Parts: sequence; C-alpha cells; structure tokens
Amino acid sequence: MAASLALPRIDADLLDALTVPARQGDYPRDSRAFVRIDTSLRIYWHTLFDICPGLLDLSGPDGLAIFRPFMAWAAAEKLSLNWTYYLWVDVWLAQSAFRDRVTPELRLSLMGASAARWATGDRSEAGGIALGCAGLPDLVCGWKTRSILSGRRIEQFTLEEPLPPPDGPFGFFTIAGDDLPDGFPGWTPIPR
Amino acid sequence: MRIGFNFTLGDTAPLVRRLLAAGRIDYVELLIDNFLAVPPDDLADELAGHFTVPVGFHIMFSKFIETDEAALDSLARRLRGLIDRLKPLYVSDHVARFTHDGRQLYHLAEIDYASDYDRVRRRVDGWQDRLGQRLFLENYPSIMDGGHDAPAFYERLVRDTGCGVLFDASNAVCAHLNCGVPLEAWEGVIAATPHFHTAGYNLSILQPHLVLDTHDRALSEATMAFLERCRDRFDKPGATMTYERDDNFDEDDIVADLDRLRAVFAPRIQDRDHGRIACLAQN
Repeated sequence: MAASLALPRIDADLLDALTVPARQGDYPRDSRAFVRIDTSLRIYWHTLFDICPGLLDLSGPDGLAIFRPFMAWAAAEKLSLNWTYYLWVDVWLAQSAFRDRVTPELRLSLMGASAARWATGDRSEAGGIALGCAGLPDLVCGWKTRSILSGRRIEQFTLEEPLPPPDGPFGFFTIAGDDLPDGFPGWTPIPR
Repeated sequence: MRIGFNFTLGDTAPLVRRLLAAGRIDYVELLIDNFLAVPPDDLADELAGHFTVPVGFHIMFSKFIETDEAALDSLARRLRGLIDRLKPLYVSDHVARFTHDGRQLYHLAEIDYASDYDRVRRRVDGWQDRLGQRLFLENYPSIMDGGHDAPAFYERLVRDTGCGVLFDASNAVCAHLNCGVPLEAWEGVIAATPHFHTAGYNLSILQPHLVLDTHDRALSEATMAFLERCRDRFDKPGATMTYERDDNFDEDDIVADLDRLRAVFAPRIQDRDHGRIACLAQN
C-alpha cells in the first residue's frame, strides 16, 4: 500500500495520519512523511506507557498489542485523546482480550495519569478534578500546582460513604479550590 | 544581549537559582500558563524571593488559534493580571496546530501558512487585544516543505498585526536541516525582533533522520555557527536570548552552553567604546 498517496508537501497534508498507526503505511518507508508520522505516534506511545508501565505487563515490552488496536479504535470512535486518553484506554481494555488481566491497581494508575494530565494541561479556572469509576469506590483527584516550587498533586481518597457510581464508565467533577468540596456536585460524563 | 533560562516546573527551581547566583543568566522565562493556579500574590512573592531578576512570559497552551472565545477571555483575564503585576520583558505564544478534527496532537503540527493566514491574522489581532499586549510569536521547527513559506508569513503577520516574532534560532536550524529553508531567509525577521530562543535538538529514531526540537541536549555546532555569523543582527538594545532545556538537566552541559552564548554576545570593544561615549554624553 506504500506510496498510494501523493507525497505530501506540507505538514497539514499529514494531519489525518498523525494519530493513526495504520495510515503510516500509506507512505514510503524512506520518506520524511513516514518518519514524521512515526515521530508523532511515538509521543502517544511514550505518553501512555512511560506513565503507566503496568500496561506493558499485559501487552509485552513493545506495547504494540495494546497501542495499535487502541489507537485504531480511538480513531474510529473519534476520541479526542485529551486528558481522558488513559480513561479511554481503560474502557478499551475492558472490551479487549486483556480484560481479565486488568487489576484495580492498573485501573487506578490510569485514573491517576488522566488526573495528572488534566492538572498540567487544563487552562480553566478550576483548581482540581475528581474522577470516579463505576467499578472502584475510591476517588482519584488531580490538583494544579499552587506554588512555583512544586508541581501538580495526585491523591486517592477512600470515602466513608462512597459516592454513587457514574452512569458511564467514568465520571468527573471539577473543584474551584484545592480541597474536596463538602457536597457532591454530581458526575459529568468524561468527554470523548 | 540578556541571556535567560526557561522555567517550566518547580523541579528545576534549585538549578535556576544556581544559574542566577553564578551570574550565568540575567532573567527567567516562565512558562506562565503552568502557574496560573498559583494565587497571584503568592506567585509575586515567590518570584521576588527566589528569582530576583526580570521575567519573560512564554504561553504554551493558550491554543489561541483554536480555542473558543469564552475560554480565551478567561485565560486573558488571568494573564493580564499577571502582566500588569510582574511587567514581563515580553509575552510570547505559539503559532501551531494543537488539534485536528477535535483530536489532540501530542507533537504539534505546522500550520498551512498560505491557507491559514487570514484566520491566524484575525486570531492574533483578537489575542493581542485580549491581553492588551504586543505578542511575540514563535516560529515552528519545520519538518515538511511548507516551512519554506514561514519567513514571509511572519514578516506579513508582523506588518498586518503589529505582533513580533519570538525567533527561535534552533527551530530555524531544524527547518534548514529538514527541508532546506535557508537561514538567510530569516534575516528580516531577526533584524526586526529583540526576543530569541535557542535549544538543543535531536535526530528522529527512524531514517531518513528528521531533526526534532527536543530541548534535551547541548546546542548544536550548526546553531552556534548561525548565532556567531549573525551575532550583530541578533544583538540590539533590549535583546533577550532564552536558552530552553526541558529534559536531561545536566548542569555542566547547561552551564557550558550558557557560557558559549555569553561569549558570542559579549560586548565588543567598539560596543564598549560606544557605550562609554554615550555615558560621557549623558554626564
């Protein structure tokens, strides 16, 4: 299938391929376009497996048994790959051949990774985020940095009275300050 | 030329303080949107306590070309408060694609300089209005041949919007090595701006190698040669050169690079004489 497309001239010609491993094969292996797409995909790979290395216990050391089918599914589902990236990996794992090997610890690490990604990348006025999951009672919270000398914080809370589970696989609410609120504002479904 | 260092996260504060104490840097460039949740009073106090030098503001994730207006209003309100309070040497941002079809791009993409021009111009106008501030916009480390259109794009954007360019010298070297954009094509841009970046880059894993703006190693000889060759075009009153490092914080390596930059931009005898004459004239 290589070289089936005209060789791209500008970066924007490659936009549709930058998140889709299968599209890399549309371009000759010795082309800048092929390496450009590879460079893009490697960052998604590292963003996933460097942060949640427990996934490699399922997939094998190259991660590709998870990475390639997940990215194909994410493209088909038009997922944004924003801060929810890791949460949708969890959703995909639950319907994959790996579903019986996914531990609560791995799921919590994926939730923590998403909370951290929100805390470093969100530019709204919210100070924190709480994530809940249908199958786990604990809350995972991410807090933006409150001092130039520190970084974002991730915390796991076990509540005396667990909150009602979200309707979907995950739910979230944002927090104005840097403490859990007294009341429960309800779950917002995670964005796609 | 003032030499600065980028500060993106708290982990590197001790390093930055040592560079300041040794006189190796003259200012600190804050990746300001990483610190927007720090209460403004605390931010000002912490900066005064730890970095007793001027600051520059580098905005990374405004995504001002793509973000909806309400989110930009909110972001601008908070940034303006900090701009008014901390009076940065400059405020800079990025011209790039952060998303495509609603999907987040983790390796930012280069815009189409021809077809995107009108939208970018409108967005730059709007973002400068919101911030009440002239913006300096950073050039992209081009990989594909569209990079050839970048120098003329920025010259036109500066003319039409009054913005400036945060000219990243090593990004221009990346574009030169990847797609052959002549470094000379940037001469007009360099002459027109006082604010600069530079950093190390690395090669892609696969071949044909791409040169990637990784900020994780020493400045290349090609970058140093470019700076030395065009030294007089870069240096001007009020000029700043920020050395960026975001990974592999090898202090000896960083110090060596800062010393090399300092040597390139050391005042020359005629500059010193000119300065002395100017001082005498004032007296």
